[in-house]
Amino acid sequence: MAKVYFSTWNGEFVNNINLPEEEWKESAYNLPAQYDSHRTSKAFIGWDGVALFDKDVDVIRLAMEYAAQYQEYSEACGRCAPGRWGGRILYDQLDKIARGEGSKADLDHLKEIGKSMQITSKCEIGKTVPNPILDIMEHFEETFLECINEQKPSVHYGESIAYIAKITAPCTDACPSHVDIPAYIEGVRDLRMDDSLMATRQTMPLAHVCGRVCPHPCEDACRRTNLDEPISIMSLKRLGADWETDHGYDFFHPLEKKPSNGKRVAVIGAGPAGLTTAYYLAADGVEVDVYEELPVLGGEVAVGVPEYRMPIGKYNKDIECVKDMGVNFIVNSKINADDMRRFESEYDATMVATGTRISKKVYCNNERAEIKGYWGAIDFLDKVNLYEKYGYKISKEDQEENLLTTDFVDLTGKVVVCVGGGFTSMDVVRCAIRANAKKVYMIYRRDEKTIIKNTTYEEYHEAVEEGVEFLFHSAVAEMVDEENLLKSLLIDKYELVPDPNGGRAELVKIEGASYVIEADYLIPAVSQSADLKLLPSEWEIEMTSWGTIKTNGKDYMTSRKGIFASGDCEYGPMTIVNAVGQAKRAASVMSRYLLTGEITLSDDEIMEDHLKKLRVYDKKEKITGWLKGVPRQHSQVLEVEDRKYNNKEVNLGFTQEEAMSEAERCMRCYYIAMVQA
Amino acid sequence: MNKLINFKIDGISVEAQKGETILTVARKNGIYIPTMCYISKTSPCASCRMCVVEASGMDGFVLSCNTPPVEGVEITTNSDALNHERTNIMKLYDVNHPLECGVCDKSGECDLQNKTLEFNVSRQHFSAKDQLRPLKEWGLINYEPSLCILCEKCVHVCNEVIGDDAIEVKFGGYSSTIIPKNSQTLDCTFCGECIAVCPVGALTSSSFRYRANAWELEKVPATCAHCSGGCPLEYETRHASLNGADEIFRVKNNFEFSTLCGAGRFGFDFDNRASKDEAAFAKALEALKNAKAIRFSSMITNEEAYILELLKEKLGVKLFNEDARKFAEFMKSYSSLSGKLHHSGSTDAIRSSDAVVVIGSRIATDNPAVRYALTTASKHNGAKILYAHPLEDVLMQNVITQMMKHEVGTEEGVLALLADAILKDADLPQEERAFFDALDFGYLYAETNIGEEEFELMIRSFARATKRTLVIGNDLMAHPRASNIAKLAALIEKYSDFALVVVPREVNTLGVSLINSLDVDEDIADVVGYNAKGSFVISSLEGANLASPALNQQEGTFVSIDNQLLPTNVALAFDGYTLNDLANALGIAQEQTIDYTPKLPVSAGFKSVAFDDLQNFLSPLGEDRRGYILDEIVCEADGEIEELDDMPEFNGTIIYQCDPVLQFNSYTQKAEQLPKESFLRGSAQFGVAAKISDGDKVEISFGATKIQREFKLDSDLKGTIALNPTFDISIDASRYRFEKSKIVRVVS
Repeated sequence: MAKVYFSTWNGEFVNNINLPEEEWKESAYNLPAQYDSHRTSKAFIGWDGVALFDKDVDVIRLAMEYAAQYQEYSEACGRCAPGRWGGRILYDQLDKIARGEGSKADLDHLKEIGKSMQITSKCEIGKTVPNPILDIMEHFEETFLECINEQKPSVHYGESIAYIAKITAPCTDACPSHVDIPAYIEGVRDLRMDDSLMATRQTMPLAHVCGRVCPHPCEDACRRTNLDEPISIMSLKRLGADWETDHGYDFFHPLEKKPSNGKRVAVIGAGPAGLTTAYYLAADGVEVDVYEELPVLGGEVAVGVPEYRMPIGKYNKDIECVKDMGVNFIVNSKINADDMRRFESEYDATMVATGTRISKKVYCNNERAEIKGYWGAIDFLDKVNLYEKYGYKISKEDQEENLLTTDFVDLTGKVVVCVGGGFTSMDVVRCAIRANAKKVYMIYRRDEKTIIKNTTYEEYHEAVEEGVEFLFHSAVAEMVDEENLLKSLLIDKYELVPDPNGGRAELVKIEGASYVIEADYLIPAVSQSADLKLLPSEWEIEMTSWGTIKTNGKDYMTSRKGIFASGDCEYGPMTIVNAVGQAKRAASVMSRYLLTGEITLSDDEIMEDHLKKLRVYDKKEKITGWLKGVPRQHSQVLEVEDRKYNNKEVNLGFTQEEAMSEAERCMRCYYIAMVQA
Repeated sequence: MNKLINFKIDGISVEAQKGETILTVARKNGIYIPTMCYISKTSPCASCRMCVVEASGMDGFVLSCNTPPVEGVEITTNSDALNHERTNIMKLYDVNHPLECGVCDKSGECDLQNKTLEFNVSRQHFSAKDQLRPLKEWGLINYEPSLCILCEKCVHVCNEVIGDDAIEVKFGGYSSTIIPKNSQTLDCTFCGECIAVCPVGALTSSSFRYRANAWELEKVPATCAHCSGGCPLEYETRHASLNGADEIFRVKNNFEFSTLCGAGRFGFDFDNRASKDEAAFAKALEALKNAKAIRFSSMITNEEAYILELLKEKLGVKLFNEDARKFAEFMKSYSSLSGKLHHSGSTDAIRSSDAVVVIGSRIATDNPAVRYALTTASKHNGAKILYAHPLEDVLMQNVITQMMKHEVGTEEGVLALLADAILKDADLPQEERAFFDALDFGYLYAETNIGEEEFELMIRSFARATKRTLVIGNDLMAHPRASNIAKLAALIEKYSDFALVVVPREVNTLGVSLINSLDVDEDIADVVGYNAKGSFVISSLEGANLASPALNQQEGTFVSIDNQLLPTNVALAFDGYTLNDLANALGIAQEQTIDYTPKLPVSAGFKSVAFDDLQNFLSPLGEDRRGYILDEIVCEADGEIEELDDMPEFNGTIIYQCDPVLQFNSYTQKAEQLPKESFLRGSAQFGVAAKISDGDKVEISFGATKIQREFKLDSDLKGTIALNPTFDISIDASRYRFEKSKIVRVVS
């Protein structure tokens, strides 16, 4: 809801012209009436219409400036005949009218060209730019005619007015890293993989990783879904990265490294958030030291995500890319409170990006860490991955602790039970299969549909194919041990009971349905929490109620000046792309903070947040101009027998032919939004 | 099995295969959809939007060039609404397009002109502020941005077919323009394909500029005479009687389906202007009668080669042609194991491959047609391309996925290791299996300097491939171990799914190798040279004792790398005597040279087809209807693979005989427009090893040859091997292309 003077947004028609302000009707949409803390907006114009928040808006100039933005935004236009010439004609004709030299014929030309652009332009930007312009021409025709008849300039023509514009797309808006998805897909379509990769790296340095293991929230906001099926957005991302690696190129950086500005930043943690912070700060000329507790770089993606999903050789390329920007890494370095105090004077700012590496408990009876066979998911995956990817052997002590007889995780003859339902638990059960376990169970409180929603369809089905048994609507009630050695688990069965009042259905335990399964291991993978002992207590850094570091979610500074936080230790266990998105934003804020001491957002970031609130994707929108039913491509996956007992990458990625077919399905749903502040 | 998609276009039932679009199916069925930016050999540019069509059940227009049809859809290609929008697009294209058709090179064959007429756009309907856009002079290529319609065809071919990736669109709406990529000026191999595909007069040949109107030029369909690629081209000439000199004005190609390199496009003026010299003719007859041998080059038609074979019999002379002899010997060894005469692959096979091994060639300059096929395979099929050579080639970096850098001279070992890796699981006869089992791998890895893991990487990266090709270059033909190398190649072809392409060195090396029985060249007196050295020289080049026609002045045929017999025609008349005239005078009577076309040896795969019965065109859908593909000939497979020889060592300053871009031989050297850079190019490391610096004049000695060149430092090169051009010196084709050399600075 927003207070507006006039709005045609998304087909609504709110007209408060000539009404006293107290009688104004509101818009149904979250339009950016307040630009930022110290500026109100006068108008908002975009792909779906126009909204005026103030009487005193020069609508002709507004339309002209919007057309001008279309000319300006080179990355998204100039690719088709209607857009290229049409856009210019729109601008020139509007400018002619605005400066008082227009004729009625110009109005007809505007309508004619606008219509052709709507029908024949290559991308949505060309198709939608005429929308609000034609709206304005329709509803403010008299204003136009006045300027034309009297040959006078529009009311504020030539005055200095701030117009702030932003290009977006539904997928880009939905992506936590705001990757310019249409641009990287266009790179694939044009077979210009360097362009594709650089488009990704503008906001996402981990192109190999997020081309493989991203849960792709973008695909839920793909407009193609309104027509048939979403674009396989994630898989198309890895093409650019694989191409760069295959051809042995130096890294294609989308930004040129700026000369040193003498500022220094410490980053704690070399996971996705830490790497991202480091990459963009280094590009800005900041000297960055990244401290990593583990002997290897990469954080959970390195020691958590298994090799068969995310080959370390590829991830290392992403890490090398960050290094190539000029970042120092210090491994085997667990930072404590004293270090943090020291850093505060040694560095100009610090980023905490330590993730969430403590496995939460299952909360069952007799759940005691001393029981052998009780093994936290994070530690289990650490041990598997450090060996499989880097060759780190398991010490005698740790072998004993976890009932192993070898210096790597060998579960031959063992029954493994994992409690979870998210990506981490999927990694645990599939690694257990690869470690040759006799039997692997996944215990999950809810049903199959939900587990697919929480992970991916592919992930679940591949696990089933590999022999994991999923026990749905189940929960561990008790661990049964003999002298601290796990023997079996008591499992309760639940059922989903609908709320007769139409509320959310509730899980209710089925009495008498509990049963026992023999088990050698119980691996809790329900969730993780953050270890934040490194924060000096006297700093009294504000925390969230779920034990993560609190920020405002926009600039990522903690309650202590100069100390920033991003990734899972800020948000709680979430996705890679979320960590990257936070860290990218934080790096931009930090970069300005280092030079000015102020915490600010750029206009681009302010607009990004406005658009997020407004929502770019409209799942009810009807799609025209595209042929329905062109099938989504699926990449080839290794056969079960070829993958079950090894670490070969399961998903082989698109062939070039598949990639090109898939890229051709992309509708390039770019939009321009503009605020007059 | 790929299911066919059945649908309708304008009420006609049609079917599409996987990968086809509405536009390609329409074209296949003879249904016209207007386009301005579409080009068959690249991915769709999708910039013009002219090809929009209506689809049943869908609102709005669908783009036909990049949309695959779906089952049952009914497509309408023509309606008032479509026509209205297409007309509007044409009106937009015409906004501020300079009205300089009267002097524009493209006038008469301009897509913008044609479509403006088609859509009856008679005036400028819309206005936009014009902008100053000065002409860009990029050497052989000019760019006139004010004429550019930003169709992006040039950018697509440069990246997807050529592989230079030298130009890009500078995006900026109305002021969008084409710019050199990562460079101030155009830095590319100057193939000129961007000129060919430009639908308007924006990209033009700087030398052709303002010289002739398109419609007054006569087109002579021919085959390029510079390398064995056998690319189709058209010489465009204007007869002297029609207001101008009797000369070739330019070369054009059917860019929709075929591609030309810059030598083919700009190197057309190698014709011989000499006239009849009866005294010289008499001397030539005398020389032939007294000759002990005729030495000739492979820049020759099949028919001339056949005449030489007849002369050999008639006069009892020897025939020298080391290039073709080496090739023939190589193929003989190949046949002794494969049991057939011709290699199985072709440039088309390379183009459709998704895994290719290239060995023994600096392929980008040795044979641009193969390079373009590799680029297409890389871009369109995502082909994994392994390039085994002692020298990196920066031109190939964007297609190569694995550089296998081996020691000079160890090609036999490299090929044995490659064959071993490829044939690991093949069902080999006992003898061959024993050969591989007996290989001394430790020795081979050490001597070739290739690690076992490199072969493992190859196998892994080729694992998903469905079409594989092995490309063998000229370094291997002249290798001392050529015979066994040929057998190893034959083994790979025979026992794996690899197709084989052997790259012939000259335009008709392959044809000559099939037609002539060649003798080992000897340094003897009384040798008549035919386009080659001799005591009496008959040649189309300067300094000949008797002038003969150049290859653009003759009709006849070549055999290309594709084992395809290709006709070529007379672009310019020749006023002097031909080889056939000499033969007639010596009692080998045929009225015309092309009377020999149907007589070419059937035993080598030629067909008894008369020259005038040969087709010579590409169909509107791109099928190659030129000449014919040679018949495969089965022969006895009585050869045996031999044990490997010890790997030779090459130390010190080594030169590699290899031409710069756009140069191949004395004919390209003669061409006015082609750059003639004859530097010895080497890395800084080479400079240090040879104790020479950039700009030094040096004397290079190898074998019995001594030449002088200027040394140029090349930052793209590494190591102690320098590149020595051959187009301006005559090279002994029987020698391995890497030479240990002595290099001395010449003090002037």
